[in-house]
Amino acid sequence: MSMLRTLIPFDIAGGMALTGKYFGKVFFSANRKKIRTQLKHFTQEYPEVKVNLAPRYRGRLTLLKDEQGEIKCVCCLACEKICPTEVITIEKGKKEGRKMPFPVRYDFEMERCIFCEFCVESCGFDSIILNHQFELATYNREDFSIGMEGAGQNMFIPSPVGRHSVAED
Amino acid sequence: MPTQAIPMTLTQTLIMGVIQILAVLIVIFIIVPLTTFAERKVIGYIQVRLGATRLAGGHVGITGPMNRIMWGMGKVPMLSILRGLPIFIADALKLITKEDIIPAKADRGVFTLAPIISVMAAFGVFACVAYYPGVMFYMPKSWPVIGGLPFQGFITDVNVGLLFILGLASVGVYGIVLGAWASNSKYPLLGSLRSAAQIVSYEVPLTLSLLVPVLLSGSLSFKDMSVALSTGKDLNPLAIIPLFIGFFVYLTCGFAETNRVPFDLAEAETELVAGFHTEYSGMKFGFFYLAEYANMIVVSSLATAFFLGGHYLLPFGLQRFIPATMPIIGGPSFFFFFAKILCILFVFLWVRATLPRYRYDQLMDVGWKYLIPLTLVNLFLAAIIRFAF
Amino acid sequence: MFKNEEMEINLGPQHPSTHGVLRVKLRLDGETVTHCTPVIGYLHRGVEKICENKTYFQGQVWTDRMDYVASISNNLGWAEGVEKLFGIEVPRRAKYIRTMLTEQNRLASHLLWLATHALDIGAMTVFLYAFREREYLLDLFEAFCGARLTTTAFRIGGLREDLPPGFIKKAQAFQDLFLDCVDEYETLLTENRIWKKRTIGVAKLNAEDCIALGVTGPVLRAAGVPYDIRKAFPNAAYAEMDFEIPTRTEADTYARYLVRLAEMRQSHRIIQQCIDGLPEGPVMAKIPKILKSEVNEVYHPIEAPKGELGYYFVGEKGGLNPYRMHVRAPSFVNLQALPKMIEGRLLADVIAAIGTLDVVLGEIDR
Repeated sequence: MSMLRTLIPFDIAGGMALTGKYFGKVFFSANRKKIRTQLKHFTQEYPEVKVNLAPRYRGRLTLLKDEQGEIKCVCCLACEKICPTEVITIEKGKKEGRKMPFPVRYDFEMERCIFCEFCVESCGFDSIILNHQFELATYNREDFSIGMEGAGQNMFIPSPVGRHSVAED
Repeated sequence: MPTQAIPMTLTQTLIMGVIQILAVLIVIFIIVPLTTFAERKVIGYIQVRLGATRLAGGHVGITGPMNRIMWGMGKVPMLSILRGLPIFIADALKLITKEDIIPAKADRGVFTLAPIISVMAAFGVFACVAYYPGVMFYMPKSWPVIGGLPFQGFITDVNVGLLFILGLASVGVYGIVLGAWASNSKYPLLGSLRSAAQIVSYEVPLTLSLLVPVLLSGSLSFKDMSVALSTGKDLNPLAIIPLFIGFFVYLTCGFAETNRVPFDLAEAETELVAGFHTEYSGMKFGFFYLAEYANMIVVSSLATAFFLGGHYLLPFGLQRFIPATMPIIGGPSFFFFFAKILCILFVFLWVRATLPRYRYDQLMDVGWKYLIPLTLVNLFLAAIIRFAF
Repeated sequence: MFKNEEMEINLGPQHPSTHGVLRVKLRLDGETVTHCTPVIGYLHRGVEKICENKTYFQGQVWTDRMDYVASISNNLGWAEGVEKLFGIEVPRRAKYIRTMLTEQNRLASHLLWLATHALDIGAMTVFLYAFREREYLLDLFEAFCGARLTTTAFRIGGLREDLPPGFIKKAQAFQDLFLDCVDEYETLLTENRIWKKRTIGVAKLNAEDCIALGVTGPVLRAAGVPYDIRKAFPNAAYAEMDFEIPTRTEADTYARYLVRLAEMRQSHRIIQQCIDGLPEGPVMAKIPKILKSEVNEVYHPIEAPKGELGYYFVGEKGGLNPYRMHVRAPSFVNLQALPKMIEGRLLADVIAAIGTLDVVLGEIDR
């Protein structure tokens, strides 16, 4: 019997049958709508089809404003202190007609950020979030230094959803 | 079959020869890139993904707007199977335009010669492969010199064609060994030593398994053998047993001869980086690539002609049960041959996606301890069937 | 005239199958390895030293980046080690969720091991089948903590947030399909003659050598020693779970393959128990805003997918940072066994041995 098993490769035939089964399934389902089941292919056609992100996805740091368009941040420096990679630098200042301290400068070095969300967790005023942007590449190193001003990516783009991403909720 | 019926002058012979060679070369140069495309697609589908999709299936072209609409609906575009098709043109362009690097310490002459040897050996074999046993069509009468001449399904019919094929095919290993040695690098050296040992040991069972059809058909000419074996007129009914075993042994050895998985030790990607062609780039690498795929086509052609019934429908000489008078399936057709080649090429890709790789010593074990005894027994069986019954 | 020379060859640091930047100096006689020296340190970032300069809260993000395919296990070790140092008791629900996520992470890590190990030996399809299931798990991690790889999943004292809505349903959906997927890998590999030839009897390391070299994890269990920290020193909620420790006695690559597959089934079982018996309640203990330690030292081992992962903390009086922090990284210790496994064997076995040790260079070099 073992001789027969050596001569006739049932083991290899089993593996070939499995891969052949998947070939057939994908071949006949390649044109159809992609459903995430075992039967279909798993390719996500990313730039064309948007990516589903979980609601808790940790993307780029964003400074929030309240309904009046005022910056919510009150310069408690909690985020600056907790940040493990020290990417946040805040300069305290005053602004006319505002009781709370006002951030004159809120700099964020994105190239060192590790997206751990400790800053958001430490913030007692809900004034920062990590949005859902994950396409953060730029052509220049300077573009990673994000501040309150600046043309490229500045801290006020509050888009919770990136250009190629869709939040699940 | 009227092969030599029409007497030809020397000029006519030469021109027809060139035309037929060109025809075969063009077919190869179409099939090889398509095989590389199919390789991406087939392995992609087996691995539950889509394979190459970025070319001709994206935003541009005729299907662009439609695709964008379908993506907008969260669906995959129609014609997914053909998306990415122009990638074979892109592959070729990349290989041709890429910088051709010769390492500083390499032996320049041999380094350049090696891929040429490989590709010559691989293409030379096609001279004796018969895709159709006879005249495929006649040249139009109105054409100047060659009007009315037959276009045959083979370039030439040598009476020891099989020996020629086997001999030339084993020259290919020189390309690998010389190229690896000339690149003066360690990983290629290991790859080439493996390849040399592997091809030398697998020549034996390969040839022994091909002796079964030789014995059963009583000829060494490619054309005569394929006709005798596929029509099965003079074959003993029991001949199907040695042919069947011989087919699988031959295919196994063919995998080894062409350095394909599970015998791809010479280039074993995860062990030797890229094996013998680690130092090659540009079109020199392209030649090795071309030679590998041309060899795959040769192996498929031989398996088709000798075991799978060649240009007839049914394999293993079973064609005799179909009367020759039946409309399509009764007679020979070039398309049967072609379809069978494609099927075997598919098996090449299928196996590549499924099986792990043998180790060097185990490869030798399989060759010498299993395949050679098996082929000898098989040959003995064929001899008994041929002469005793 | 006929000089017998050995060839020295560098496997790595840029090589398709050294799983990162491992460099192995090999001396070859033909294809036989006569001498082998692993060279490490190409990915050294000084994680331990960095952690000594960060607070106990901040240090956790560095553990993500050690064994980056099993970051939740590392998080668990860090969080529990610090909790042990400060004597914090974690709520039961948090323990269950931690256990569930750690086991899912063990599955993800073992799937990655299976994928790369099979790819190294040449079976390329298993790679993508395993990644398909891993994708589900990464989606689950993303739903829970917002990141797929560098999770920073837990907090000292429990969890930052409870499970997101729908998490249990998705986890259960994964549970339902996973065992069939393991069967698929087994169809492709377990009985396959080439796989068996490549793995049976290869890279043997018997129990005495394992213990002498400090090797832990599936490599030790494949040598017949049923040592598993989840049973030996139960942490998280493992004491309440019902599972077995799969062992084999062959101590070769094939045995390790079978042990890891059996572990995947056991992990599946543990996750199911966590889902079924998930208690209600808070997920975060009451802890002070700033943790200041006393003079104290703590060693906390957990069972990471690769073996015993231990965190050693020394606290100083009133310190916000650990005075000394050390990680006993399983990959680092297991890699010691590599020369013992492969000397005198063939070059192809080196690949199988590196694969079967399941090393992650981020953890070795730290």
